[in-house]
Amino acid sequence: MKRFLCFVTILLTLAACGPRERNATQVQGVPGIWPDYVGVTVPATIAPLDFTLPDADALDVRLTAPDGSSLRSSGKSATCFSEKSWKSLLKHSVGDALTVTVSGLFGGAWRRYEPFQIFVSGDEIDYGLTYRLIEPGYQIYSNMGIYERELGSFRQRALLENTRFAGCVNCHASFRGDPSAFTVHIRGAHGATLLGRDGEVKAYDTKTDSTLGFCVYPYWHPSGKFIAYSTCSTRQSFHAQPDKLIEVFDLDSDVQIYDVVRNQIITAPQIKQHGIWETFPVFSADGRTLWFTAAEEVEIPRGLPDSHYNLYKVSFDPETGTIGKDVELVLDAADFKGSICFPRPSYDGKYLMFTLCDYGTFPIWHHEADLWLLDLATGETRRMDEVNSSDTDSYHNWSANSRWFVFSSRRGDGLFTRLYIAHFDENGVAGKPFLLPQRDPRNYDEDLFRSYNVPEFTTGPVPFNSIQAQQAINSPDRIPFGFRWSD
Amino acid sequence: MTRKQQLTAALMTILTGIGIFVFFAFRYRYHLHFQEQYQLFEWTFAYFADVARVPGGLADWLGRCLTQFFYHAPVGAVLLALLFCGVQLSVWAACRRRSLFTYVLSFIPALLLVLFFCDENALAGAIVALALSLGVAAMCQRVASRKGRRVLDLVLLPVLYMACGPLCILFAIAVVCHEVAEGEGKPWLFAIGMLVVAAACVLVAWRLFPYPFNRLIQGLHYHRFHNILPGLLYAAAAAAVLVVMVSCLKVRKSLNGIVVPGALFVVLAAAGTFATLRVADPVKEEWMHYDFMVRMQMWNRIMQQADRRNPDNPKTVSCLNLALAKTGRLVDSQFTYFQNGPEGLIPGFEGDYTNPVSTGEIFWHLGMVNTAQRYAFEAQESIPDFQKSARFYQRLVETNLVNGDTLVAMKYLKVLESTTFYRTWARETAALVADGTLFEKRPELARIREFRLKQHDFFFSDTEMDSMLGVLQVEHPENKMALDYLLSWCLLRKDLTRFAECLRMVDTSPLPQTYQEALLLLWVFTHDDFNGLPDTIAPVNVQRINRFMADANAGKKEAAMKASYGNTYWFYFIFRYLNQQP
Repeated sequence: MKRFLCFVTILLTLAACGPRERNATQVQGVPGIWPDYVGVTVPATIAPLDFTLPDADALDVRLTAPDGSSLRSSGKSATCFSEKSWKSLLKHSVGDALTVTVSGLFGGAWRRYEPFQIFVSGDEIDYGLTYRLIEPGYQIYSNMGIYERELGSFRQRALLENTRFAGCVNCHASFRGDPSAFTVHIRGAHGATLLGRDGEVKAYDTKTDSTLGFCVYPYWHPSGKFIAYSTCSTRQSFHAQPDKLIEVFDLDSDVQIYDVVRNQIITAPQIKQHGIWETFPVFSADGRTLWFTAAEEVEIPRGLPDSHYNLYKVSFDPETGTIGKDVELVLDAADFKGSICFPRPSYDGKYLMFTLCDYGTFPIWHHEADLWLLDLATGETRRMDEVNSSDTDSYHNWSANSRWFVFSSRRGDGLFTRLYIAHFDENGVAGKPFLLPQRDPRNYDEDLFRSYNVPEFTTGPVPFNSIQAQQAINSPDRIPFGFRWSD
Repeated sequence: MTRKQQLTAALMTILTGIGIFVFFAFRYRYHLHFQEQYQLFEWTFAYFADVARVPGGLADWLGRCLTQFFYHAPVGAVLLALLFCGVQLSVWAACRRRSLFTYVLSFIPALLLVLFFCDENALAGAIVALALSLGVAAMCQRVASRKGRRVLDLVLLPVLYMACGPLCILFAIAVVCHEVAEGEGKPWLFAIGMLVVAAACVLVAWRLFPYPFNRLIQGLHYHRFHNILPGLLYAAAAAAVLVVMVSCLKVRKSLNGIVVPGALFVVLAAAGTFATLRVADPVKEEWMHYDFMVRMQMWNRIMQQADRRNPDNPKTVSCLNLALAKTGRLVDSQFTYFQNGPEGLIPGFEGDYTNPVSTGEIFWHLGMVNTAQRYAFEAQESIPDFQKSARFYQRLVETNLVNGDTLVAMKYLKVLESTTFYRTWARETAALVADGTLFEKRPELARIREFRLKQHDFFFSDTEMDSMLGVLQVEHPENKMALDYLLSWCLLRKDLTRFAECLRMVDTSPLPQTYQEALLLLWVFTHDDFNGLPDTIAPVNVQRINRFMADANAGKKEAAMKASYGNTYWFYFIFRYLNQQP
């Protein structure tokens, strides 16, 4: 028995030892690792950034912290850093950088690349992310749902999947990353808007006689007492040309605010104008301004390329729930020769990030879509070249301390949307973004056939009772929204 | 059983197996191809883990593993024959008293399962689950120690719930029957214990797995549609339970001979054959046959099949029209076959997993790559049990390669490389992409890439098919199929003015017979006589339309008109697609 155990131990030890670099030739330049983690800035609590070296038969990687402590991982396909050692190494590198030395085995000969650095920021990041996973498709959807991913590990947990009911899990939003308050919209036969507060889930019918339709694109007020929504009549069309596949557009849309306490939709003629399509409402950090985008109505589909959304703002009084009379143009889309989508103010009130695409309101199908930044103090805007790519860069959200943001990008293969996280320093400059780490990064290529959608930070595990949610969705009972015009 | 009875029993099973093989290999083979194309079985641990992690997952995985072999229908038929015989043998093995009489009774669940499997949405995993549950029950019954046996039964029940889903209840009932028949050691207490464990399995699963309670009771992967209760499956399960219960009773001696069981077997075989032929759906089988031939590009075989029996369903007619177009015979021969309007040329989009399949093939061959991609994607997303499809993955590889989205295509290819029957194609394609000779070695892809629109863009619209086909033809005049479809679309819609407009755009001399007939009809509608008729129209056609009109005005019946003019456009115009009159 003892012999057998020794034999097994030796076998396991040998199996654990990956190929080690020997007699390597030094080569110029940093390695072309995938995902590209060269020079990225990460939080100290992030899960290990495992990577591969494409075309190499094996790789051997050494991470070195500024204090000289190190960690090594080697393998035939990808690194597999020990989570415990990785965390310890990051802890010793806060405010500085890890040095990464990569060697690759090519045709029996080892090549050692010039070391590169992974910067470790002292800025904390939230507990995790929530997002939707769905095939990047057209009108019909298969298995999909809302998931939670802990950023300090590789653990992903399903919050709500459409195996529980017949329908589509749609726009979801938590209250500034607070996992105890959220809203999520369900489309299909069991259509409803779920509102969760402190562990209780209720299903609402958000369509009223006075409004256009269901509530989508939610954004919570900093007090937690209001949620700004869009209500849209959304359609899809399909291009014949290969460079574009799908066009998603609204035939009409309005902006409205839901009073959580009084269960009432509030709107006003100035944000529900005839001939104007208003959408993507968000509250400012102090909750006294409502930002939204709007465009003049065009003939669909012919006029779609002329559909350019400007950025507007209107005052909002959270004490009375009153929407201001004067709508102010903040950014004219004509100045950018594009269309402004997804405005997202940072929670510290200093910046507003938005997506700019050539036209319309659905930039994920626009390869030219990029992230832009508006400095709210100076009114200056700039394209965020430090994070953008040649392909679609779109839907984004801030961490609770506004020091990190997550965004979706199709830079990988042009179709499947992946999540990237970037550091954002006190001067308003973003670090190089890093792809959401996976235990085996090849999963992105080989196993993950769903796109990440609508990412949000969460400050803790979401206490979501999916059975309660399922029962609420499958029940025919819906709480109707009330309605009132703003004074 | 005596030696003679054993031989008789073996013969019965062999005969049943042969019967099942013949049915699925010859009568219902395209149902097998249909089943195969709605799954993507991968030989990877990740795939296994993904399928097997839910209740019933192991049986589902085994069922999918078997289903992949339906790619070759005769192999699939052999496997199904073995599977159904396996069910019969497992029922018999779970019986307490094994006489020839109970042996014959054990065919009943298997026969009911054959009927269940005639439904194209019945999944093989259900049959595996039933066989596995009873097979394990039979093995457990052989454990000599009563205490050990009961402990094993109680432990195996949750394991079987995970492996087979709720059909594990067959295991529970079979072992309880066995214990009750033994009559020792408080069997009812054991029965209550099994009941409690069974209930606990479902309750725990309800907390752990993202499915509603009712689905965990009815089974997650027994049928493609989770909102359909597979009655025949439950009937087969109930029959299995009854057979096991009956086997616990003492049977009269007269039933244990050969004559009575033999006669019963003959009756069962006859009833089973009759019921199977009644339940089998020849209309669906025909469409699946056409769809298979389109998939395999068997254009001449499609026409041979149509010559044997004129298809009349829009989906089958659209396959025939595609075959006619691909062989250059659409213009001349279209109206010699039954036509049911533009739906029979390009069926409208329906968001389910069957309709966009062969319609997507039409768009692919026309060069409407984005539309072909959308149809393949939508069909795949519509598969009710959330599976993927190797066939659609192949098409997505092709459309992405033609569109220049190589990285996306390579992603799909990697998955196909993990399959049994698509691996070679995937590896060859990847190699051709890598060495840059793809379009040289695959002329069809090169042709479609050539026909793809480069200058014009439009939004796809079901109602503007003629405009879209027109753009295809204008940008690539050599795309003859687009022209044929454009003109055929106008003819089938009975839009003769638009037909004449489109015809003027191209040089089609000499004018095909169908086009002459259509122009003559338009002439009749717009002129008082035939003076000034273009000389591209043969005089014999003028005489013939005169006769046609005279016969029509004389009130000749449709059958008589069909005998004389059934292959003309005029007949179609007057007697077909009647909701669209000029």
